[in-house]
Amino acid sequence: MVKIKYLIVVLLIVMVGISVTFLFFPSEEKKVKKRFALLSEHMSKDYGENTFIMANKIKGISVLFGENCNFTVSDYSLSGNYTREEISGIALRGRAHFSTLGLKFYDLKVSFPEKDLAQVNLTARLTGKSVYGEHVDETRELMCLLKKVEKKWLFSSFEVIEVLKR
Amino acid sequence: MVVVRFAGSKVMLLKRVVGLEGERVEFRDGKLFVNGSLLEEPYVRHPCNWNLAPRKVDNNCVYVVGDNRSMPIENHYFGQTSMERIMGGPLW
Repeated sequence: MVKIKYLIVVLLIVMVGISVTFLFFPSEEKKVKKRFALLSEHMSKDYGENTFIMANKIKGISVLFGENCNFTVSDYSLSGNYTREEISGIALRGRAHFSTLGLKFYDLKVSFPEKDLAQVNLTARLTGKSVYGEHVDETRELMCLLKKVEKKWLFSSFEVIEVLKR
Repeated sequence: MVVVRFAGSKVMLLKRVVGLEGERVEFRDGKLFVNGSLLEEPYVRHPCNWNLAPRKVDNNCVYVVGDNRSMPIENHYFGQTSMERIMGGPLW
């Protein structure tokens, strides 16, 4: 009887240990996905957003990116290589076009083709309302690269997959 | 009609195949021409005035267009897509 009690206690301790490990030491995949969750959170905009929140969100966006990030978007002039500061400016101007904005990511498939490099294939959906009252609802497939710099996963490349080429 | 995988595994588009690999597709005043010949399209209910210069469909690709062409050409999802993106067709 005593042995069974000890066994139960040991099992409980092992289960708690495993849970704590998963909670406090997330896998690299979870860390990468967390970056997308943060990007989604910072890009989103509620109606009547004040300047303080806007500034915090822009700052939050900029720290998610590496020193440089490459954007490949066919048929748009946005394609190119941008510094972190330039990305902050683009995010600021882009968000200013909307009174409400939501950016959600779905179906994230994370792989690690090299050490300290993550490739993520995902679906991105942008919804919102422009300041002129136009509703926006765009969905695209993306391929993103993130590099691990000083233990942080930073966005280094965004490519919008061209499914329909005119 | 075919179902094109547009994004991820859930976002699909229902389109009509109008051109096969090697064929030339173009729009002139809303009329669709394939290899220079007018394609009769009784399924198009709303006439349009789209214009698109001729283009050749690449290997292993098909050219797809939707039936609803009531919107401006820039707002319509259409074009050449890889065969790998074709997931199937409607059952009825």
